[in-house]
Amino acid sequence: MTGRKLRPPAERDFRGAAHDQRVTARIGLWLGIAFGICFLTGLLSQLARAGSGWPTSPVDLYRVTQGAHVVAGVAAIPLLLAKLWSVYPKLFARPLVRSLPHAIERGSILVLSGAALFEVVTGLFNVAQNYVWGFGFPAAHHVAGWLAIGSVLVHVAVKLPVIRRGLTRGDGGERSAPPGGILTRRGFLRGTGLATGVAVVATAGAAVPLLRPVSPLSWRSDRGPQGVPVNRTARAAGVRAVDDSWRLTVVTPGGTRAFSLAELRALPQTSASLPIACVEGWNQSASWTGVPVADLLRLAGGAPGSPVRVRSLERRGAYRSSLLPGAHAADPATLLALRLGDEPLALDHGYPCRLIAPSRPGVTQTKWVTRLEVEPR
Amino acid sequence: MRAVFALAGVAALAWGGWLALEFALGARNWAQVLVWLVGAPLVHDLVVAPAVGLTGLAVARVVPVAWRAPVALGAALSGLLALLAVPLLWRPFGVATNPGLHDRDYVTGLAVALGVVWLGVAVAGLTAGVTAGLTGRGRREQ
Repeated sequence: MTGRKLRPPAERDFRGAAHDQRVTARIGLWLGIAFGICFLTGLLSQLARAGSGWPTSPVDLYRVTQGAHVVAGVAAIPLLLAKLWSVYPKLFARPLVRSLPHAIERGSILVLSGAALFEVVTGLFNVAQNYVWGFGFPAAHHVAGWLAIGSVLVHVAVKLPVIRRGLTRGDGGERSAPPGGILTRRGFLRGTGLATGVAVVATAGAAVPLLRPVSPLSWRSDRGPQGVPVNRTARAAGVRAVDDSWRLTVVTPGGTRAFSLAELRALPQTSASLPIACVEGWNQSASWTGVPVADLLRLAGGAPGSPVRVRSLERRGAYRSSLLPGAHAADPATLLALRLGDEPLALDHGYPCRLIAPSRPGVTQTKWVTRLEVEPR
Repeated sequence: MRAVFALAGVAALAWGGWLALEFALGARNWAQVLVWLVGAPLVHDLVVAPAVGLTGLAVARVVPVAWRAPVALGAALSGLLALLAVPLLWRPFGVATNPGLHDRDYVTGLAVALGVVWLGVAVAGLTAGVTAGLTGRGRREQ
């Protein structure tokens, strides 16, 4: 026992090089870039889910933007933790509030750290399909994204002179860590860079197949049937293998027609190499064979170009139907796929037929399709 | 320049506030979002950051100089990997394992990753020890 009383720390107790403003400014810059990528690709994902206005080519567009979203989000985790550690001493600055602008600034930092942590934590749990919350993730993640980017921009505006000073002064130059510290400024920065690399490599196998062997925390594996992961099994969706009475009904303003599975198989088949690209960042390209949706619409008496409501055998769930935008419905690569690779679709992949369209989020590639309805343009 | 950032930021915050209001009026469980928004920084400031600080203090007191930086970095990387693994290992609210998704052996994966990290720490510590022994720097700093 030293006899010293325990007391909360004061700002001056933190003597590590991590708390130098040159370090804060640099990590803040990196974090700002990661958050910027997350924000922009997040908006693109919203646009892709909404459908209209999202382009049909390149076919890999959504896979790239969403992969970038998730990888940048993972990179933001160590950067955010390093940034918060760098400025943690300021939490203990006294007086708590010096003036009204100071109070507003401190308040804005609470919004900033709340929204930023909310985004990375909910994002990380969501890619693992681990829904620890009772709210709708896409809407909440979207709202907090705006709050995060807004408070980042305000924070940059407030701190700009400090950031400039921090960035223009060199980050190195010390011979050793400060007394009581462990790392030099450059050591802390390099450590943060290393941690960011480790976080990305440890998880990015989900989005980048090449990294999967060295990516122990990748949330996808190669074990899905026919080489493609399954996000919702037939069992979870309450769908059973269909019998001969199954029909695909195509409803257009010019007429309605029902197709049996044998009739669909007898129609001219098209093959396309298209990725399933999920909002969770994983993606898998595969060779799909089936009938172009545009052909089916024409056979039923319609003209492709209007949006098409695609309905599934699935009874419950937010994704039991999807709206195929007009441009995608008219694209000759948009298929009602009957085969994956050399085999009929596995039941978990949507047997007897599923929608597969270029450059669309996975949740909109409806499985177990039973009905196509042309909607008013 | 500052005005541009400030204006863009206030505009984004206003839009975010509007969306938040819409969300609160339309969604079930909106109050949970609030709990997460406030709870996350509290958990960070009261648990994560103090853990980092106390680990740093312990390393600075207990570990020989040449080993301090590698051990501190190894501890940080271990904590980071453990945090990244939480949603994969702790899944009371996770969906049933899907074929091809979150169906790998994450306990072994995490153990291997931690093994690689601490192997790196050992190599860095030993080579730093050799360097410090040659230059005598380590002793002076002690």
